[in-house]
Amino acid sequence: MSYTVVGLRGIRSLLAYGVKGMKHLGRFLRFVLVSVGLALSALSHAADIPLYPTGPSADSSFVRFINGTDAALELTAAGSQAKVQLDAKTPTTVYYPVRAKSAIKGQFSQAQSKSEISTTVKAGEFVSVIALADGAKLKHVSLGEEPDDFNALKVSLAFYNVSAKCANAALQVVGREVMLFEKLGVNALTRRMINPVKISVQLLCGEQTTGAPLELGELIAGERYSVFAIPAASTTRIFIVSDAVAR
Amino acid sequence: MAAGTLAGIALLVLGESHLSLPGYLMNPLYEDLTTQGATVHAIGACGATASDWLKTVEVPCGADRFKGDTVFKGRAATTSPIKELIAKDKPSLVVIILGDTMASYDNESFPRAWAWQGVTGLTKEIAATQTPCVWVGPAWGTPGGKYFKNDKRVELMAGFLEKNVAPCVFIDSLKFSKPGQWATVDGQHFNLAGYQAWSANITKALAALPMVQGLKK
Repeated sequence: MSYTVVGLRGIRSLLAYGVKGMKHLGRFLRFVLVSVGLALSALSHAADIPLYPTGPSADSSFVRFINGTDAALELTAAGSQAKVQLDAKTPTTVYYPVRAKSAIKGQFSQAQSKSEISTTVKAGEFVSVIALADGAKLKHVSLGEEPDDFNALKVSLAFYNVSAKCANAALQVVGREVMLFEKLGVNALTRRMINPVKISVQLLCGEQTTGAPLELGELIAGERYSVFAIPAASTTRIFIVSDAVAR
Repeated sequence: MAAGTLAGIALLVLGESHLSLPGYLMNPLYEDLTTQGATVHAIGACGATASDWLKTVEVPCGADRFKGDTVFKGRAATTSPIKELIAKDKPSLVVIILGDTMASYDNESFPRAWAWQGVTGLTKEIAATQTPCVWVGPAWGTPGGKYFKNDKRVELMAGFLEKNVAPCVFIDSLKFSKPGQWATVDGQHFNLAGYQAWSANITKALAALPMVQGLKK
């Protein structure tokens, strides 16, 4: 049988080679042992890899504060003396990361008027707390969104309507018969993706042109923006902000 | 000029556990890339997410291979801020190999906002240095195991990265094999044959990118 022949040949060869053959065998055995050792070592490394999480226990949550009035106001976080001024030039804060389901407390103040803020944010939610004039007083509205449209190649544009004077709000692209958003109710928001082009928009309330057109400026792909429709003295006005997140 | 499809290109390669152990992706990938003429600095950090590469974060294990020297680290391993790494190495291309640490395989819901924040934070930091980059997404694993890797979520993770890593160019590792084709030791980490196949495919895909060919000196 070929097996026996080969086996006998191997043994004969070893005997013929004598000590030299034994050295070959030793080297072979060492090679086998080293190989097995390396394999075991690799397995040991693999077995030793510490378990690590493949993500957070809960998604991130964010909150921002917006001045939807015609005058400057101050924002104060509960338990803090630090104040943030929100005015026509800077009507919004960035989105601050917060712990999901925890109480967010603070205060909007403007002259003698105050509006106490108390809200919570769900995991994965982006909440906007918008200060509004309520006669001579202040009030606020909280609107949250849970976006699933993240895309670095497109512009994400939201439309928030917090003007009770503007039912069925719409945004039309100036110079074109194209509606970016339509039939948005009061205290509601909607969002869509658009290409990074330079456009101006016109607000319509109940199909009536309202206020002046707004140039949205150079919108950058991958960035997120919001247009707010807020009550003005006798009408509704719009402005755009970047949905920047604190890093 | 060195021969090879990546001749003259200096690569800074960053990754998670796949790049952190000797029998994993680190050695085959380093060798495949250097064989193609690239100069490679490869750093792995077990469990590191995208945002962990914006700062120094301690990780349970890691590895660093540069100019032939390899250091496999245990508890002493950390990430390093990407800006510092780029300033020091001045790579012609950054290659990020990340996905499994951000897929939340054991969670019913995908942490989209968290992943978006981390991914865009890292890509913006790289873009600020004007260094081109490539992002290699996760490969299929085998369902189950201690990380609960599953086909549906890894597909979602790859799709999310594809939409969100620009200006980095995305390489989809899911196209390199069929689900379950590469055997794993724990559902997520491959055996050597799997890592060799992944490495060969990454190297080939990198070399085929017009942007990478434009970097050749």
